[in-house]
Amino acid sequence: MSADAADRTVVEWMAGLRGSGVRRDNTVAELRDLLLRVARFECQRRRGLLRVGGPELEDIAQQAANDALVSIMAKLDEFRGESRFTTWAYKFVMFQVSTKIGRHFWRTGPATVDEPVDPDRIADRLATAPDQRAEQRELLGALARAVEQDLTEHQRKVFVAIALDDVPVDALAAELGSNRNAVYKALFDARRKLRTSLAGAGYAVSATPEPR
Amino acid sequence: MSDEPPNLDELLPFDPEDPGCQATLDVFDLYVEADLSSIDPATRFPGPAAHLRSCPACRLDYEGLRAAVNAFPSYGTG
Repeated sequence: MSADAADRTVVEWMAGLRGSGVRRDNTVAELRDLLLRVARFECQRRRGLLRVGGPELEDIAQQAANDALVSIMAKLDEFRGESRFTTWAYKFVMFQVSTKIGRHFWRTGPATVDEPVDPDRIADRLATAPDQRAEQRELLGALARAVEQDLTEHQRKVFVAIALDDVPVDALAAELGSNRNAVYKALFDARRKLRTSLAGAGYAVSATPEPR
Repeated sequence: MSDEPPNLDELLPFDPEDPGCQATLDVFDLYVEADLSSIDPATRFPGPAAHLRSCPACRLDYEGLRAAVNAFPSYGTG
């Protein structure tokens, strides 16, 4: 990659990527190299969150760069020039790194605990101090009951995995054969339903908080 | 009844303006450039800002994009 790849103008990027022949091939190769550098950088940044390293991490970076390049080339006409081309391109790398790491999670991460939710499990997640647990036991109990009784099976699975067991959204999406947007929507609906349940039971929880 | 404990919002963050992951990812590049230009992105993009407060996956991607733009800057806007 040329040392100035990140300094190309958007006009140069577009002309190269939409061109033909050697010019196009060279521009695609430079973009791919830049995406790989960004993917490696991001994998290193997330290293503390992972249980993979060395060759596996490099493999994730390579795959993320390749798939980001495919997405970018497919969506080139959607780039409207409102941001720098490279900023727009880098976001595809971030998404691909998350997706690849999500798939690796089940090989290396902890399994979720498929047991009924009880107040202590919620208190553990909230790191509630022992003296506060007694004060909040009624509320924690109401929340645990709402998780078990008011959510759909899918909402419960999503909420327990993400909110209580710290399963990454992309890992759960991979496990469910779904996607981030759909899994988050289930989480969003679950949170809203639980807030509504607690508010309906008389707790000082706003069911639909004012925008912050 | 007891009051809402202060850390319950960690477990049940919720904002009706939250547009979801895809709508937030669509403006990630604009959001991060506003952020790095010292323009409050939450003012320009209140929905995505609400989403980033509630979605750990998009927040992680956003932090990564911000770090990448800092590490691999480009001035190619023309």
